[in-house]
Amino acid sequence: MVQVTRRELLTGAAALGAATALPGALTPASAQTTQKRDLVVAQGGDISKFDPHFSTSSNDIRVSFNLFDNLVARRPDGKLHAALATEWKLHGQTEWTFKIRPGVKWHNGDPFTAADAAFSLARTWDPKVGTRVSTVFTTIDRIETPDPATLVIHTKKPDPLLPARLAFYGGQIVPQKYVEKVGNDEFNAKPVGTGPVRFVSWTKDDKLVLEATPDYWGGRIDVDRIVFRSIPETAPRVASLLKGEVDVITQLAPDQEERVIGNASTKVEGALYAGLYVLAVNSKRPPLDNPLVKQALSLAIDRQAIVKELWRGRGIGPNGPIAKGDNHFDAKLAPLAYHPGEARERLRKGAYRGEEVVIETTVGYTANDKPMAEAIQGMWRDVGINAKVEVLEYSVRAQKNRDKSFKGLWWSDPTSTLGDPDGMMWRLLSPGGPQDYWRHPRFDELGEAARFSVDEKFRAEAYREMTKIFLEHLPWIPVIQPYEDYGLQKYVEWTPNPNQQFEVRRFNLRLRRA
Amino acid sequence: MRLSGDPVPLLLPPDAPRSEIFRVRRELGLDRTLPVQYGVFLVNALRGDFGRSIHFREPAFAVVRGYLGATAELGLTAFLLAAFVAVPVGLLSAVKRNSAIDHIAMGVALVGQSAPTFFLGILFILLLSLKADLFPTGGRGDWTHLALPALTLGAFAMASIARLTRSAVLEVLRADYIRTARAKGVAEWRVVVKHTLKNAALPIVTITGLQLGTLLGGAVVTETVFAWPGIGRLAIQSIYNRDYPIVQCAVFLSAIVFIVINFVIDLLYGVLDPRARP
Repeated sequence: MVQVTRRELLTGAAALGAATALPGALTPASAQTTQKRDLVVAQGGDISKFDPHFSTSSNDIRVSFNLFDNLVARRPDGKLHAALATEWKLHGQTEWTFKIRPGVKWHNGDPFTAADAAFSLARTWDPKVGTRVSTVFTTIDRIETPDPATLVIHTKKPDPLLPARLAFYGGQIVPQKYVEKVGNDEFNAKPVGTGPVRFVSWTKDDKLVLEATPDYWGGRIDVDRIVFRSIPETAPRVASLLKGEVDVITQLAPDQEERVIGNASTKVEGALYAGLYVLAVNSKRPPLDNPLVKQALSLAIDRQAIVKELWRGRGIGPNGPIAKGDNHFDAKLAPLAYHPGEARERLRKGAYRGEEVVIETTVGYTANDKPMAEAIQGMWRDVGINAKVEVLEYSVRAQKNRDKSFKGLWWSDPTSTLGDPDGMMWRLLSPGGPQDYWRHPRFDELGEAARFSVDEKFRAEAYREMTKIFLEHLPWIPVIQPYEDYGLQKYVEWTPNPNQQFEVRRFNLRLRRA
Repeated sequence: MRLSGDPVPLLLPPDAPRSEIFRVRRELGLDRTLPVQYGVFLVNALRGDFGRSIHFREPAFAVVRGYLGATAELGLTAFLLAAFVAVPVGLLSAVKRNSAIDHIAMGVALVGQSAPTFFLGILFILLLSLKADLFPTGGRGDWTHLALPALTLGAFAMASIARLTRSAVLEVLRADYIRTARAKGVAEWRVVVKHTLKNAALPIVTITGLQLGTLLGGAVVTETVFAWPGIGRLAIQSIYNRDYPIVQCAVFLSAIVFIVINFVIDLLYGVLDPRARP
């Protein structure tokens, strides 16, 4: 989901490395409080559209999750909270009822009802609309609205994650009456939502202006306006923060953090990324079809060194395919080990003959992708693996991803869309999924059963066994779970969300005023 | 560019199934053969219809038009800055050949012509914006926002115009009619302004015009470094996004600007040099 946005020219940041050694260039000591009524946010790229059902890119959802609300909200604590639905209940195995929040108004004054919610969900898979999120709600069989305050969703099979699905992209609720009246294009140009901010104006690649919804059901936010700017280069984005032109910057690269912390008026806030950075493996290509070779690849990676040197400590070493913070993350499982001796031993046992192992890396698709690839290449060569790094342009990667034609290993940053292994490893590694390069009957059986079980104890057991199989066969080689960091003015009190949702609500944003 | 990649995987979530990818390809008309796609483009372009942006879901021409103002503002400012600084400097360098002024001016010009735009831009941000606190770091707004990007963008043009002006003027200063004019006792300033500059004007106008075309064609790097919402940045992002309609429209408009400028230069030749008239 982060594809379009990660194409940062991080090389630019590197080029600036030498020049950045000018700490404390300006140190306005008074900047701990502010009189500002606007919050200016700079991201690495501009949004592309407002219609929340037509984009899943992270630049777009940072905006759409504030213009719109979902029935259920995932907050920075990682848990699901009531939003446009005040409560929900599962009856039997497949029938969910949602109580609709009373008294909510659209930005144009129309009342929000269960019909809007039903319309929005059905819109996502309507072939006549052709949204980009048509696969989010495939588990839904039918939707009923017995009265304006109740929504009943029947799923085809038991779906334990329906509320989680409703909380992420595709689940933003749009106004039926308005959309039907003005059409999809006009709705995209002049969006109307229920969110804490409403649309004012947008000049592409320059400035997007949103203003606080005065009577927002969750309370009016602490600023009058939110202005989104796009500053594509890392170094100028950081400079604009240091200079006080913007209040928040997204996608703060680890090598820029010292500048932000070293500056008297700015600080860094981060949340552990809800997902992992992994080297995905084409397990069909020898020698990567051999589990022993893959185990050796994993054992030869010194993850602590990568976290320390390339990420300045802003990340943790994963212990398996489940991200920390997700359902069924096993805290007792040790982080993946670094053991070069054992790696050599497994290569010997696996009868590795020096076949070439290729990492196809992008530059700046994820932070540090190329530096990490180069570091890992060195670590692999140290244990006798004939490792090679090839650089791909971003859209070539997208093409290879689609054609499933990677030569060996490539960077993937699976996002946990549901806060659950189902929305991460199973979404990507399941049969027919986008990273279907490896099959294991037991793994498949468990993944399928866990998807359709509402028994959390059974699911926990299933994911424990799947993790064991995963660690033997390694369809991904997990490398790091990084922090997603933001640079902020010190007067901004804001808690980031782990899954790149940029949520601005009354409960999580406050400007410290003089 | 069409052969370089498919926009569809960039539009859909990474876990979109193949059927969904094919549906969107059909919807965008990308399932047709290239000659057919090209034919459709040509016919529509002649009618002024550049199709709909894949990325923005808006008519391509309307999107590109939204970026023209910013590019024109930046390009013209950079151009005026370049021309009004470079021609006098080049002239002065030529007249005071081998003086300290000449050496310094041409030294700076050499740096201006060879330093990468990216480096210059970041350097200006660090020194003039962060350190000296004179200008904002980027974005579009009042004239202070324009200063650094215009300087960065104009640097190359300024340097090449100055260097060319100098050599063109030196050439003319060696001509017989200049010696004659001096021998007649014409005042030196008249020799320089009337006799020399007029005769040296042809190459200067040519290079200046070409620079204008380049500056108006959008400045990818400058616009990116300074977060300037111009057509160059739009074009490069659209290439990354495989947003063909936008790229085609932007290239088309840039080509027209370039052709018009070249045409105007050709007409100017006739005005400046009677020998060039038919």
